Amino acid sequence: MSFDLRLERTYDAAPEVVFDAFIDPEAQQELYADAPDWIVEATCDLRVGGRWTIAFGPPGGTPARETNVFQVVDRPRRLVYASTMAMPDGSNIDTSMEVTFEEEAGRTRLTIVQHGFPTPERREEFAGGWSSILDRLLRVVVAQ
Amino acid sequence: MVRYSVLDRTFSALSDPTRRHILERLARGPATISELAQPFDITLPGLLKHVRILEEADLVVTEKHGRTRQCRLGTEPLDDAEQWIQTYRHHWEGRLDRLASYLDKHKGARR
Repeated sequence: MSFDLRLERTYDAAPEVVFDAFIDPEAQQELYADAPDWIVEATCDLRVGGRWTIAFGPPGGTPARETNVFQVVDRPRRLVYASTMAMPDGSNIDTSMEVTFEEEAGRTRLTIVQHGFPTPERREEFAGGWSSILDRLLRVVVAQ
Repeated sequence: MVRYSVLDRTFSALSDPTRRHILERLARGPATISELAQPFDITLPGLLKHVRILEEADLVVTEKHGRTRQCRLGTEPLDDAEQWIQTYRHHWEGRLDRLASYLDKHKGARR
Protein backbone atom coordinates (compact mmCIF):
# COMPACT_ATOMS: atom_id res chain seq x y z
CA MET A 1 0.00 0.00 0.00
CA SER A 2 1.31 3.41 -0.94
CA PHE A 3 1.14 6.42 1.27
CA ASP A 4 2.33 8.83 -1.39
CA LEU A 5 0.27 11.28 -3.33
CA ARG A 6 1.32 11.87 -6.92
CA LEU A 7 -0.24 14.27 -9.41
CA GLU A 8 0.75 15.41 -12.87
CA ARG A 9 -0.43 18.23 -15.11
CA THR A 10 0.80 19.79 -18.34
CA TYR A 11 0.65 23.54 -18.83
CA ASP A 12 0.90 25.55 -22.00
CA ALA A 13 3.73 27.77 -20.73
CA ALA A 14 7.51 27.62 -20.26
CA PRO A 15 8.91 25.95 -17.09
CA GLU A 16 10.14 29.35 -15.77
CA VAL A 17 6.62 30.74 -15.99
CA VAL A 18 5.00 27.74 -14.31
CA PHE A 19 7.72 27.59 -11.64
CA ASP A 20 7.34 31.28 -10.78
CA ALA A 21 3.55 31.08 -10.64
CA PHE A 22 3.73 27.96 -8.46
CA ILE A 23 5.51 29.79 -5.64
CA ASP A 24 4.32 33.37 -6.28
CA PRO A 25 2.42 34.63 -3.17
CA GLU A 26 0.12 36.60 -5.44
CA ALA A 27 -0.76 33.48 -7.44
CA GLN A 28 -1.47 31.64 -4.15
CA GLN A 29 -4.36 34.06 -3.61
CA GLU A 30 -6.08 32.20 -6.41
CA LEU A 31 -4.56 28.75 -6.11
CA TYR A 32 -5.35 28.27 -2.43
CA ALA A 33 -8.83 29.77 -2.56
CA ASP A 34 -11.08 26.70 -2.68
CA ALA A 35 -13.98 29.15 -2.88
CA PRO A 36 -13.81 32.70 -4.33
CA ASP A 37 -14.34 34.35 -0.93
CA TRP A 38 -11.53 32.49 0.86
CA ILE A 39 -8.86 34.53 2.58
CA VAL A 40 -5.32 33.60 1.57
CA GLU A 41 -2.16 35.11 3.03
CA ALA A 42 1.14 33.96 1.58
CA THR A 43 4.81 34.85 1.91
CA CYS A 44 7.67 33.18 0.12
CA ASP A 45 11.42 33.37 0.75
CA LEU A 46 12.70 31.33 -2.19
CA ARG A 47 16.09 29.99 -1.10
CA VAL A 48 17.35 26.83 0.58
CA GLY A 49 16.26 27.10 4.23
CA GLY A 50 13.79 29.86 3.34
CA ARG A 51 10.16 29.69 4.41
CA TRP A 52 7.05 29.65 2.31
CA THR A 53 3.89 30.13 4.34
CA ILE A 54 0.29 30.07 3.26
CA ALA A 55 -2.69 30.64 5.54
CA PHE A 56 -6.00 29.93 3.91
CA GLY A 57 -9.63 29.38 4.76
CA PRO A 58 -13.14 30.78 4.61
CA PRO A 59 -13.68 34.33 5.96
CA GLY A 60 -14.33 34.54 9.70
CA GLY A 61 -12.92 31.07 10.42
CA THR A 62 -9.55 29.93 11.76
CA PRO A 63 -7.34 29.42 8.71
CA ALA A 64 -5.34 26.31 7.94
CA ARG A 65 -1.62 27.12 7.87
CA GLU A 66 0.88 25.51 5.61
CA THR A 67 4.53 26.15 6.49
CA ASN A 68 7.08 24.99 3.97
CA VAL A 69 10.87 25.07 4.27
CA PHE A 70 12.82 24.78 1.03
CA GLN A 71 15.45 22.06 0.79
CA VAL A 72 16.17 22.22 -2.94
CA VAL A 73 15.57 25.30 -5.08
CA ASP A 74 16.57 24.59 -8.67
CA ARG A 75 14.68 27.10 -10.79
CA PRO A 76 12.97 26.21 -13.11
CA ARG A 77 13.40 22.46 -12.76
CA ARG A 78 12.80 21.29 -9.24
CA LEU A 79 11.61 22.21 -5.76
CA VAL A 80 11.90 20.07 -2.65
CA TYR A 81 10.46 21.26 0.63
CA ALA A 82 9.30 20.02 4.01
CA SER A 83 5.68 20.88 4.56
CA THR A 84 3.75 21.17 7.80
CA MET A 85 0.03 21.63 7.63
CA ALA A 86 -1.57 22.97 10.80
CA MET A 87 -5.30 22.41 10.63
CA PRO A 88 -7.87 24.69 12.33
CA ASP A 89 -8.72 21.83 14.73
CA GLY A 90 -5.14 21.87 16.06
CA SER A 91 -3.94 18.73 14.28
CA ASN A 92 -0.71 18.76 12.31
CA ILE A 93 0.57 16.72 9.44
CA ASP A 94 4.16 16.69 8.21
CA THR A 95 4.90 15.71 4.65
CA SER A 96 7.69 16.22 2.18
CA MET A 97 7.06 17.64 -1.26
CA GLU A 98 8.93 17.27 -4.49
CA VAL A 99 7.79 19.33 -7.45
CA THR A 100 9.38 18.95 -10.87
CA PHE A 101 8.91 21.10 -13.96
CA GLU A 102 9.88 19.38 -17.22
CA GLU A 103 9.84 21.04 -20.60
CA GLU A 104 8.05 19.12 -23.33
CA ALA A 105 7.81 20.84 -26.72
CA GLY A 106 7.38 24.29 -25.28
CA ARG A 107 4.96 23.11 -22.62
CA THR A 108 5.65 22.20 -19.00
CA ARG A 109 4.85 18.98 -17.28
CA LEU A 110 4.41 19.60 -13.56
CA THR A 111 4.70 16.60 -11.24
CA ILE A 112 3.93 16.70 -7.55
CA VAL A 113 4.94 13.91 -5.21
CA GLN A 114 3.97 14.27 -1.59
CA HIS A 115 5.19 11.67 0.92
CA GLY A 116 5.16 11.20 4.63
CA PHE A 117 1.53 10.43 5.24
CA PRO A 118 1.12 8.11 8.21
CA THR A 119 3.12 5.00 7.39
CA PRO A 120 2.71 1.42 8.59
CA GLU A 121 5.10 2.33 11.46
CA ARG A 122 2.69 5.06 12.51
CA ARG A 123 0.03 2.36 12.47
CA GLU A 124 1.97 0.46 15.11
CA GLU A 125 1.85 3.57 17.29
CA PHE A 126 -1.86 3.71 16.66
CA ALA A 127 -2.08 0.05 17.64
CA GLY A 128 -0.45 1.04 20.96
CA GLY A 129 -3.07 3.73 21.34
CA TRP A 130 -5.66 1.15 20.54
CA SER A 131 -4.90 -0.89 23.65
CA SER A 132 -5.63 2.11 25.85
CA ILE A 133 -8.84 2.82 23.94
CA LEU A 134 -9.84 -0.79 24.51
CA ASP A 135 -9.03 -0.46 28.19
CA ARG A 136 -11.30 2.57 28.46
CA LEU A 137 -14.07 0.82 26.52
CA LEU A 138 -13.78 -2.20 28.77
CA ARG A 139 -14.17 -0.02 31.85
CA VAL A 140 -17.35 1.40 30.33
CA VAL A 141 -18.64 -2.08 29.48
CA VAL A 142 -17.86 -3.35 32.98
CA ALA A 143 -19.56 -0.34 34.55
CA GLN A 144 -22.77 -1.04 32.64
CA MET B 1 -22.86 12.71 17.09
CA VAL B 2 -22.80 9.33 18.79
CA ARG B 3 -23.76 6.49 16.52
CA TYR B 4 -25.52 4.22 18.99
CA SER B 5 -25.82 1.27 16.65
CA VAL B 6 -22.04 1.32 16.23
CA LEU B 7 -21.57 1.61 20.00
CA ASP B 8 -23.98 -1.27 20.57
CA ARG B 9 -22.07 -3.45 18.17
CA THR B 10 -18.76 -2.43 19.72
CA PHE B 11 -19.92 -3.09 23.26
CA SER B 12 -21.55 -6.38 22.47
CA ALA B 13 -18.40 -7.47 20.62
CA LEU B 14 -16.35 -6.52 23.68
CA SER B 15 -18.66 -8.22 26.15
CA ASP B 16 -16.98 -11.60 25.69
CA PRO B 17 -13.67 -12.46 27.41
CA THR B 18 -12.39 -14.58 24.50
CA ARG B 19 -12.94 -11.69 22.11
CA ARG B 20 -11.18 -9.28 24.46
CA HIS B 21 -8.22 -11.65 24.60
CA ILE B 22 -8.16 -11.78 20.81
CA LEU B 23 -8.01 -7.98 20.66
CA GLU B 24 -5.28 -7.84 23.28
CA ARG B 25 -3.28 -10.34 21.26
CA LEU B 26 -3.80 -8.36 18.01
CA ALA B 27 -2.78 -5.11 19.71
CA ARG B 28 0.71 -6.68 19.81
CA GLY B 29 0.64 -7.42 16.07
CA PRO B 30 -1.24 -9.33 13.36
CA ALA B 31 -1.83 -13.08 13.75
CA THR B 32 -3.38 -15.96 11.83
CA ILE B 33 -6.58 -17.65 12.95
CA SER B 34 -4.67 -20.71 14.22
CA GLU B 35 -2.18 -18.53 16.11
CA LEU B 36 -5.14 -16.81 17.75
CA ALA B 37 -6.74 -20.15 18.63
CA GLN B 38 -3.61 -21.53 20.33
CA PRO B 39 -4.01 -20.07 23.83
CA PHE B 40 -7.68 -21.09 24.01
CA ASP B 41 -9.36 -24.43 24.41
CA ILE B 42 -11.49 -23.73 21.38
CA THR B 43 -12.15 -25.20 17.94
CA LEU B 44 -11.18 -23.23 14.83
CA PRO B 45 -14.83 -22.74 13.81
CA GLY B 46 -15.56 -21.53 17.34
CA LEU B 47 -12.73 -19.02 17.15
CA LEU B 48 -13.76 -17.98 13.67
CA LYS B 49 -17.20 -17.11 15.04
CA HIS B 50 -15.64 -14.71 17.55
CA VAL B 51 -13.45 -13.18 14.83
CA ARG B 52 -16.54 -12.64 12.64
CA ILE B 53 -18.28 -10.74 15.44
CA LEU B 54 -15.19 -8.57 15.95
CA GLU B 55 -15.02 -8.04 12.21
CA GLU B 56 -18.64 -6.90 12.04
CA ALA B 57 -17.87 -4.36 14.76
CA ASP B 58 -14.88 -3.10 12.68
CA LEU B 59 -12.59 -3.99 15.57
CA VAL B 60 -10.74 -6.59 13.51
CA VAL B 61 -9.89 -6.86 9.84
CA THR B 62 -9.05 -10.18 8.23
CA GLU B 63 -7.29 -10.88 4.95
CA LYS B 64 -6.83 -14.18 3.23
CA HIS B 65 -3.21 -15.06 2.42
CA GLY B 66 -3.30 -18.33 0.50
CA ARG B 67 -4.67 -20.91 2.92
CA THR B 68 -4.34 -18.84 6.04
CA ARG B 69 -6.38 -15.92 7.25
CA GLN B 70 -4.43 -13.04 8.78
CA CYS B 71 -6.13 -10.88 11.40
CA ARG B 72 -5.24 -7.42 12.60
CA LEU B 73 -6.88 -4.60 14.55
CA GLY B 74 -9.46 -2.43 12.80
CA THR B 75 -8.39 -0.14 9.98
CA GLU B 76 -9.62 3.15 11.37
CA PRO B 77 -6.11 4.56 11.86
CA LEU B 78 -5.31 3.55 8.31
CA ASP B 79 -8.49 5.14 7.04
CA ASP B 80 -7.31 8.36 8.65
CA ALA B 81 -4.21 8.25 6.46
CA GLU B 82 -6.26 7.60 3.38
CA GLN B 83 -8.61 10.39 4.26
CA TRP B 84 -5.65 12.75 4.51
CA ILE B 85 -4.40 11.70 1.10
CA GLN B 86 -7.85 12.16 -0.43
CA THR B 87 -8.19 15.59 1.14
CA TYR B 88 -4.80 16.63 -0.17
CA ARG B 89 -5.55 15.20 -3.60
CA HIS B 90 -8.76 17.16 -3.73
CA HIS B 91 -6.97 20.39 -2.73
CA TRP B 92 -4.11 19.86 -5.17
CA GLU B 93 -6.43 19.11 -8.06
CA GLY B 94 -8.24 22.37 -7.43
CA ARG B 95 -4.96 24.27 -7.15
CA LEU B 96 -3.46 22.78 -10.29
CA ASP B 97 -6.62 23.60 -12.26
CA ARG B 98 -6.52 27.15 -10.98
CA LEU B 99 -2.84 27.37 -11.89
CA ALA B 100 -3.87 26.70 -15.50
CA SER B 101 -6.40 29.54 -15.48
CA TYR B 102 -3.92 31.79 -13.67
CA LEU B 103 -1.32 31.15 -16.36
CA ASP B 104 -3.90 31.77 -19.10
CA LYS B 105 -4.99 35.03 -17.55
CA HIS B 106 -1.43 36.31 -17.22
CA LYS B 107 -0.30 35.24 -20.65
CA GLY B 108 -1.44 38.50 -22.26
CA ALA B 109 0.35 40.57 -19.64
CA ARG B 110 3.66 38.83 -20.29
CA ARG B 111 3.65 39.04 -24.05
